[in-house]
Amino acid sequence: MRDRLFHAQIGRRGFVKGSALATGAFFINTKYSLAALADEPASPFTTAWTQPLRFAPYAIPLPAWQALDPLPDPARHQRYDEFSPRYFYNMEVCEELVRPHPQLGWSRCSTYEHSVPGVTFMHRYGVPVLCRINNQLPQVMQGFGSCDVITHVHNGHHAPESDGFPEDRFSPGTFRDHHWANTLASGDPLEAKGTMWYHDHCLDFTAQNTYRGLAGFFLLFDDLDSGNELDPNPDALRLPSGVPDGKRVRNRFDIPLIFTDRRFNQAGELLFDTMNMDGILGDKWLVNGFVQPYFEVERRKYRFRLLDGGPSRFYDLWFSNGMTFDVIANDGNLLPAPVTAQSVKLGVAERMDIVVDFSELPETTTEIYLVNRAEQVDGRGPTGNVLPMSQSPKLLKLVIRPDTGIIDASRVPSSLRARPAMDWPVARERSWHFDRTNGMWTVNGQLFDHNRCDAFCKQGTAEIWHFSTSGGWAHPIHMHCEEPMLLTYKGKPANSGIWAGRKDVFTLYPGDEMSVYIKFRDWLGRYPMHCHNTVHEDHAMMVRWDIVP
Amino acid sequence: MTTPNPLSRRASLRSLLLPTTALLAGCASTQPRPGATDDSASDVGFPQRTGASVIRANGTRAFRNHVLQDQDGRTVRFQQDLIEGQVFAAVFMYVNCKGICSDMIGQMIGAYDLLTPVMGNPVRFYTFSLAQDSPEAMKGYMQSRGIYGRPGWTFLTGTPEVIKDIRWGFGFFDPNEEVDGNLEAHTGMARFGNHRLDKWSSCPALANPLMTARSVVALFPPGERPQIAALQDSETVPARPIPNYRPAPPSTREGA
Repeated sequence: MRDRLFHAQIGRRGFVKGSALATGAFFINTKYSLAALADEPASPFTTAWTQPLRFAPYAIPLPAWQALDPLPDPARHQRYDEFSPRYFYNMEVCEELVRPHPQLGWSRCSTYEHSVPGVTFMHRYGVPVLCRINNQLPQVMQGFGSCDVITHVHNGHHAPESDGFPEDRFSPGTFRDHHWANTLASGDPLEAKGTMWYHDHCLDFTAQNTYRGLAGFFLLFDDLDSGNELDPNPDALRLPSGVPDGKRVRNRFDIPLIFTDRRFNQAGELLFDTMNMDGILGDKWLVNGFVQPYFEVERRKYRFRLLDGGPSRFYDLWFSNGMTFDVIANDGNLLPAPVTAQSVKLGVAERMDIVVDFSELPETTTEIYLVNRAEQVDGRGPTGNVLPMSQSPKLLKLVIRPDTGIIDASRVPSSLRARPAMDWPVARERSWHFDRTNGMWTVNGQLFDHNRCDAFCKQGTAEIWHFSTSGGWAHPIHMHCEEPMLLTYKGKPANSGIWAGRKDVFTLYPGDEMSVYIKFRDWLGRYPMHCHNTVHEDHAMMVRWDIVP
Repeated sequence: MTTPNPLSRRASLRSLLLPTTALLAGCASTQPRPGATDDSASDVGFPQRTGASVIRANGTRAFRNHVLQDQDGRTVRFQQDLIEGQVFAAVFMYVNCKGICSDMIGQMIGAYDLLTPVMGNPVRFYTFSLAQDSPEAMKGYMQSRGIYGRPGWTFLTGTPEVIKDIRWGFGFFDPNEEVDGNLEAHTGMARFGNHRLDKWSSCPALANPLMTARSVVALFPPGERPQIAALQDSETVPARPIPNYRPAPPSTREGA
């Protein structure tokens, strides 16, 4: 993988040295850059819609004849022989200079395999893999971000030693093997997941490291959601398919989109307010790592995998023409049935898969925009107001090509994936109250301690967990490993529509209460649950829970 | 305007050699100037907002160079003596606090104990008084907790404006003035910093001392980290070394 071409707009260190020096010279002239964003002038002007939407290349496993050196150590992994890896990846985490817009400068970023976003993992259920992650970041790294990393596959049903527990961070010069069994939870096909992502999870530095570039898509397919709209298998849903692979974009209709917001200093370099305790907001809207790109679409159906990449922004996504679409998956899990909607809300780390049919647009419509109508003035959460369409920031321009008589074989069946049965008796109920005392995040009145387990959950049992919060904050609560199903929201049943599926992020707005049902299966060990406003997470808004025999 | 740094060896030596300067510094300590700045951070363009800091051309951060007093009544400059080139953990408390302060200092003592081999050099602890405690009161408190004279731990006091600017500069504030000014609800967060690398993190000072100590150690580049056995996480299986590893060049403003 090391010899592959870099993602577009990412330069080899030597190649862009001149640019870096030029940037440095600019810095000396300006004397200071302001660290307190309240004083910072807005990011430099960038012209929107001048650059195409780009995609990370696929992660490529080692060829069959090439072995990892040293060999993986099965003793470090649970059930290794049972889920013997079929493919092996050898991935680098390294620093690159990245420019998210031609009118911005080059920024030092942390990357997975030289790409921002990180290379896209495309896996299939039943095919275990092992990914070696080599930390090749500089040992001495000035500015925000840590040279220590640990990778978490968000919503992966993985053993804890491969899950990315924050304390498992490791330093440059070392590697960790992540064994991704890609197995269905308790073998149930209804537990299959689809749109996931992987990102850094380093203790105290998750927000800084992901902001610096450490995030990418991790997609899983199975016989139902096979990733082939021409699949002859009668069971296959044949949803719009074809995930772009780097520059290979033609005839690809399954489009992963990671939304992030960023700030830049007057030299156009990435800026992160390390003193911010509430949450970080940017004034530039990036899609797949680039500022306000455009994307040309055919007049047919597309699957968009929408991901809120944070660190603290909330989205209420609409198309500028108000068109409707089908929501097919919540947090990457296919719903029992598609839900027609005009908008979707995303808290940090939440995903929504939607299918948009551009063939329904009149011939005269040649451009529409994806806009964010959620008003948010600070990192604490959205105000709850919906911005007028005309005043809402535009994130992505969609250029609709003329009708070329393209044949669209993809479908959105009326039935997708049924909700798994909640058929295990409830062993116990637990309550988790998220609060803030003396400026410190607490859960049930306690501070995070990774050496203290706050819930011993017996493998093979189910529980009901109740979430609640107080104060004027929004908290997207994320649970590792196991995927709960929502039972009630504010005391009322919430198991239909977009709530009918499984979720791994439950966004609690001020005063919210939720109850969820969870099964504990397959793996033993420690996992975290935390707020995915990563600024809150880094300030210890987290608990540890364990699956025990 | 040079004030000896009572916290560094070099400055201590200088103060021995230049008793007059030290004497003058002692005089100055009786009249701390709120919000005072000197040559390290007074350039045109330094923002006026409370808590502002700036990143300098070499990639390091400058705060206002406030005048403070330590537990022995010595004058200390915030930027020059406490921030510049230092690796530290900072908390805010006051001597007569009936709330979290006692427990917080207790946990910080635990963290200090774990970090003992590196306390004073290169790690420092700073405790800022939120209630204009006198140097005598701070010294008495330190003595009562058995931490007076321990290398690397300094209690500091200053005017309300100065302490507020420092607190805000470390990110511990509430935009609601009433909430921000409520002493009983004051922050229990610790700010960790490595000035040279402009590396900053934060966690509750009331946390398990092991976590606090590990957060401090994580501020150092891996090759410079203190090797303290008690700080190893017993549940984490160590990562393995990359064969034929060649370190990437430093990523700094000056080295870019």
